[in-house]
Amino acid sequence: MIKIEGLYKTYGEKTALNGLSLEIKEGTIFGLLGPNGAGKTTLISILNGLTQFNRGKVTVFGLPLQENIQAIRKRCALIPQTLAFYENLTVIENLNFFGGIQNIEANTLKKNITYAVETNRLGSMLKQKASTLSGGQKRRLNIAIGLLNNPDILFFDEPTVGIDPESRNEILETILSFKKANKTVVYTSHYMPEIEKICDEVAIINAGEIIKQGSIESMLSSDDVSEVIIEIRETPTVELERCLDKYSNISIVDESTLMLDTKASSAVAEILTLLEKSDIAVRNVRYGTTTLESLFIALTSKGRADV
Amino acid sequence: MFKAMLIKEFLLVSRDKHALAALFIMPAVFILIMSLALKDVFNEDKALIEYAVIDQDKSLESYSVVSKLRVNKMMNEHNISTPFGKPKEEGVQFIVVIPKGFKSQFTQSDANHSALQIEVASDIGQSHLMLFKTQILSSVMQTRLDAINLAQEMQASRSGDTKKPQKIVFDEKKMMKIHYAALDEGEKPTSTQQSVPSWIVFGLFFVIIPMSTIFISERKQNTLMRLSTMNVSLPVLFGGKIIPYMLINQLQVWVMIAVGMFVVPLFGAAALTIGGDISALVAVSLALSLSAIGLSILIAVVVDSVEQATTIGGIINILLGAIGGIMVPKFVMPEFMRDFANVSPMSWGLEGFLDVFLRRGTLSDVMYEVTGLALFGLVSLLIAAVIFNYKIRRVA
Repeated sequence: MIKIEGLYKTYGEKTALNGLSLEIKEGTIFGLLGPNGAGKTTLISILNGLTQFNRGKVTVFGLPLQENIQAIRKRCALIPQTLAFYENLTVIENLNFFGGIQNIEANTLKKNITYAVETNRLGSMLKQKASTLSGGQKRRLNIAIGLLNNPDILFFDEPTVGIDPESRNEILETILSFKKANKTVVYTSHYMPEIEKICDEVAIINAGEIIKQGSIESMLSSDDVSEVIIEIRETPTVELERCLDKYSNISIVDESTLMLDTKASSAVAEILTLLEKSDIAVRNVRYGTTTLESLFIALTSKGRADV
Repeated sequence: MFKAMLIKEFLLVSRDKHALAALFIMPAVFILIMSLALKDVFNEDKALIEYAVIDQDKSLESYSVVSKLRVNKMMNEHNISTPFGKPKEEGVQFIVVIPKGFKSQFTQSDANHSALQIEVASDIGQSHLMLFKTQILSSVMQTRLDAINLAQEMQASRSGDTKKPQKIVFDEKKMMKIHYAALDEGEKPTSTQQSVPSWIVFGLFFVIIPMSTIFISERKQNTLMRLSTMNVSLPVLFGGKIIPYMLINQLQVWVMIAVGMFVVPLFGAAALTIGGDISALVAVSLALSLSAIGLSILIAVVVDSVEQATTIGGIINILLGAIGGIMVPKFVMPEFMRDFANVSPMSWGLEGFLDVFLRRGTLSDVMYEVTGLALFGLVSLLIAAVIFNYKIRRVA
């Protein structure tokens, strides 16, 4: 659906994208992770035709991006992090405006507005001024506007910033529903649990390059990190704490998982011996990490993003 | 506690560039402009009155009057290009025609002599006209006294002459006829007529504040970026702003005219009348609106925040008004300031409206101003488009 090969983008002396290559498959929810200034926003801007790139090849729906930007945009939607609508207009006035500006045929637009309103549960507040909506409702309106052209690809730029957990969950459920409708979602966020919850695939971008890409499971099993996961028989935490009391380099993730913060074989052997002596059965030992967040930190802290 | 409050407030103000600009730079520039504009008003050595003379009498007496006017430091004589020119076209405030038979008042007792004809530019205020009339009267009286002295000297030299010197009747009211350019005989421009155009121009430019404020909010909230991703082109985006604000400006013009026509008379002042063509009025107000909107969009794309737009927009509005003759009539400005006034679109707008309200102008009379204003608006929009395109791509 989206294919990027050797993409370069510079702003004067600064390199924002440094030969980035990426492929996003149809119907997936794709998480784009990276520290601030890593190049995520530049990439999203390029994919939406807002920024020109210097070198490389980008195809969307099999069409070269630059030559077909108008046609591609008709099938895409960008949902910005900011509340990009008019606070002094009502919900329905906003929807009518953003729908009307896209030259969508009247009947189709009517259907799309209904879909956007239902998907985002805005039906009861259509005549309310946008300024009077709660934070979560505003976020939903922001998403609803992106659905007015019934897009095949949705780009979300941190859509849950500054809202309460309940509203966040509602939004994540909405995004998950797009997968059922076979829509492709490109999702950027700093909330790793969100990414873990909704994304099928993730790419970690740093200093304008993709440093890791794959499914969440495969990434957590990565050997790029200096951690070892030890899966054990379920053992009460109190017992584990007593057993591992003297070891500062091991942490208890839960009653069946321990994490060692070094890959040194001597340290691994020492812990395994200790567990055996304590009669705690070891089921699996693997290099990797338990959370996307620790993986992200491990990968991105290796080289500080320069853009 | 109070000390901390004071320190905080001073720090905040001292770090707010726009507040500092509004507090210090704007008044400083304003003082500079106003001082330069009014520089000659209280300067006895500088001419306040720009005039031209057409001497059809070509007598010693008419020559004497012209000479006396010429040495008056308050007056600056211009050579006129055509005997039938209008003050505005000749770049003067008054044209004095000394008709044939003018000299008879100095030698004959009857008062049926030819009066001086004074053509006055319609935007000249009453006080300025009074000043000019006084100077004319003074010159004529001086010439008259010279004539009496000469007659007495001649009489004395001819001591045997028993003939009494002729009694000369001198009627000031019949000495000059005032006519305002483009107005009917005996018709005078009113203060309403002279001032309302200025305030219409000034009011129209206040569109800068709401327009740039909304535009910046749209930019800040990424609404404009979102519109770009919806294939909304720049001409559509700008056009969608220009047309509604043009209509708002037209409404403003007609509301202000209606106030001049119907509300002002209720308070005892003269009612506003539209002397010229309605088509000329509409053309000027549309072109003025385009220039105000062009400037508004340019400000909106250049500045970064609503606060900046409000401050800078307000400052620019006031300064353009001061430069453009809204606050000080251009006829009291020194020549270089009158030329400098042309950098302000408000000056062209004002001239256009004065053409319509005071000079009974037609569409062709205002085409110069209309073209200038429209060009100013279009160039501003073009620059705004280039900057906007650059900025939105950079931000993205």
